[in-house]
Amino acid sequence: MLRVENVTLNFEGLIAVNNVSLTVQANKISGLIGPNGAGKTTFFNRISGVYTPDKGSITFDGHRIDGKKPYQINKLGIARTYQVINLFKNMNLLENVMVGMHSNLHSNFFSSMFKTKVQRAEEKEALERAYDWLKFVNLEHKAKNLAGSLSYGEQRLLEIVRGLASNPKLILLDEPAAGMNSKEKEMLHDLLNKILEKKISILMIEHDMKLMMGVAEYIYVLNYGQKIAEGKPSEIQNNPKVIEAYLGGE
Amino acid sequence: MLIQVFISSLVIGSIYGLIALGYSLIYKASGVMSFAQGDMLTLGAFLGYTFYGLLGIPFFMSLILVMVVMFSFGFLLERGVINHIIKKNILQIYTILATIAVSYLIQNGSLMIWGGDTKYFPSLFQIKQIPMFSIKIQTEAFLCISVSLIGMFILHLFIKRTKLGTAMRAVALDRTAAKACGINVPMTIGITWGLSSSMAALAGILIGPVYGVYTTLGATIGRKGFASAVIGGYGNMVGAVVGGILLGIMETFTAAYVSSAYKDLIAYLALLLFLFIKPTGIFNEKALVD
Amino acid sequence: MKLLDKFKMEYIGKVGIAVFLLVLPLIFHAFNYDYGILICCFGALYVIAVSGLDVLFGYCGQISMGQAAFFAIGAYGSVIMHKYLGIPVLVSMIISSILATIIGCIIAYPASKLVFHFLSLATTAFGEVVYQLICQSPKGITGNFTGFFTDYPSIFGYKLNTNIKFYYYALIMVVIFLILKSNIIKSRIGRAFIAIRENSHAANGMGINVTKFKVMAFGISAFYTAYAGGMYAHLTRFISPETFANKQSVMFLTMLLFGGTASLGGTVSGVFVVLILNEILRSAGRYQLFAYGGLLLLVVVIFPGGFYRFIKDFINKQKGGTKDAEG
Repeated sequence: MLRVENVTLNFEGLIAVNNVSLTVQANKISGLIGPNGAGKTTFFNRISGVYTPDKGSITFDGHRIDGKKPYQINKLGIARTYQVINLFKNMNLLENVMVGMHSNLHSNFFSSMFKTKVQRAEEKEALERAYDWLKFVNLEHKAKNLAGSLSYGEQRLLEIVRGLASNPKLILLDEPAAGMNSKEKEMLHDLLNKILEKKISILMIEHDMKLMMGVAEYIYVLNYGQKIAEGKPSEIQNNPKVIEAYLGGE
Repeated sequence: MLIQVFISSLVIGSIYGLIALGYSLIYKASGVMSFAQGDMLTLGAFLGYTFYGLLGIPFFMSLILVMVVMFSFGFLLERGVINHIIKKNILQIYTILATIAVSYLIQNGSLMIWGGDTKYFPSLFQIKQIPMFSIKIQTEAFLCISVSLIGMFILHLFIKRTKLGTAMRAVALDRTAAKACGINVPMTIGITWGLSSSMAALAGILIGPVYGVYTTLGATIGRKGFASAVIGGYGNMVGAVVGGILLGIMETFTAAYVSSAYKDLIAYLALLLFLFIKPTGIFNEKALVD
Repeated sequence: MKLLDKFKMEYIGKVGIAVFLLVLPLIFHAFNYDYGILICCFGALYVIAVSGLDVLFGYCGQISMGQAAFFAIGAYGSVIMHKYLGIPVLVSMIISSILATIIGCIIAYPASKLVFHFLSLATTAFGEVVYQLICQSPKGITGNFTGFFTDYPSIFGYKLNTNIKFYYYALIMVVIFLILKSNIIKSRIGRAFIAIRENSHAANGMGINVTKFKVMAFGISAFYTAYAGGMYAHLTRFISPETFANKQSVMFLTMLLFGGTASLGGTVSGVFVVLILNEILRSAGRYQLFAYGGLLLLVVVIFPGGFYRFIKDFINKQKGGTKDAEG
């Protein structure tokens, strides 16, 4: 579904991502791991259009997406979350989710300004769907609260749901479990499976090995911007290069 | 004729350079754009007129006096007002609005103190004109250009060679690291603003004898000074001076050879052009991240 | 308080305000203060202008220190078209506003790439360029510093030639503009604006074409401010460049910030407080602008966020409630 081929990202001499290729299969969870600074988030930025192409190609569902702007890539069906929480803190939960739906809503300037019947119907439906998404993560009781007032774990969930609201085919999760306690991580584990049930594929960066090995079906390992291993979780766990990357890097 | 125009452009160009230096210093130190710089120039001009014209203090002493007074003014402004607003950590627009408020206060304070008519400096030198490059240059013009350049050079040495100057550069680069090195960051920032104000005041006392002094003298120069700073690269010292001179040349030559009506337009068009096409300016100065 | 009672109270409150606004001129007349009606006319058009700025800055987070340029385009555009092309006033006002919108969108496109401080410089420069052009217009078409005389608006021959008549027209226009603004703000477009203000990178990642929406916000603010400029011109029937200098842009911003951004009540209160302040200070004569600057500084230091928000939060705190997401 997502095929990344020979992508290189060169920042004025610093090669952040070096000739990395990976494939994300549909309806599965694929993982991306590696020590800090390995270039994982940079890689995500490359896929989601934040960084522009240097070398290589990215193909999504048969279409080339390298060179496209982030909002265009979102419209094509890829959503993402961020390592640092990027919620709209001064909007409430519903509004945050409804922003996530932006690409799926079609009211334009004039229909919005004059509140046409079509626009009103669309808004009403969007509101209901937003509530449904909040229910998906058990946050509907806080629907009208400001996003900034949520606990850290809840904010992470909201961010995921905001990404899901655009009905993507693929969602890129950047360290979704960061800062969560073990109970929250269990809920995250269930959430990830629920997302799969909705036929949304996942590519996930994560440092929590237990979680990663528990959900991912296929894992890629980066170190110093290069792919050093790939394979099923069991293969990765026993791969000497991977072990060296993590231990040697300490 | 060409040389005459060129000399005029250097006069106004050096003034723009002094203002732009102030902008860049403040931006690097506090991360704000101060809309009161131009009025510091006005105040400097009025003070110069008062010291030299009214009180009869010898010119160069007046000049030094003005710079010292305005240094304190800028320092106190930053420590007393600007710092508090920035600390409140609210929208940046409020800081800009505060500098605009200060600008209004200076403009109207000057109006109240000195009145609305244009004040003229008594003649500075016996010699009216200096023969140079086969033409005669007005003494005031010569003074303006040379003292500005000397002032900029001294500032440059100060920033590069003295301990305080290095502290200023450190604070501009990384405030937290500077603090960790034991630099008194608040004082340093205050001093930076003080220096910017005295640079502007210097510009004022130099341009006063050429144009005469009135309450809105600095306001227009100040706004156009932004163009100089952007052209050279906002935050870049050398850029400020180069930008100033370039702007002076563009403006004066346009006025002389194309049309004097739209002279002021040039600065703003140049500003827009650079902002839209090359916002980092000639010397490629990266903008501060919010 | 029961929900139904709360609704009843809000409804009565709104009706009360509507009635008050409708009879206001009569109240002024009864107190022999017809000048108050004129102030309300100005208030109305400034509310429109500042609402435009609110959409751009309060909601979308884009600073504009050159709104006076649009005010000028609306004013001069309308008076020039009316005089030289014979177009009726209300039509010329709309055409000039559309013209301003187009210019605004053109400028907005490259401006959308600029970060905060540089955007403030660009908009200041834009304001100055327009100002210079109206001061020294080609062939003196704007009348330059001599100014330009013009007519009252007329609706199908009915001339709005008194302050009271203009007041009711202005009231209708304010209501229309504010309803349209509210519709935009509460829609997907408004959410996009706010998202851009809060975090434009995340907004981009959510499928929002940030550039397009920034241009849209500029366009809206241009239309609103230009229309208000047209109203100004045909109310005072004489315009000259001074009104459209940088000071005017600062005043719009001041009105917005005094009252508080992203809020209806804030805009209205900000406009009227500044207008009333200006009137009070007028009697201070020489000290007028000095006091104005001083007050400005005071408000920035004491009431950042605008004092409408300040008072609202204060009242809320007394009630023990939580802060609003939006005003």
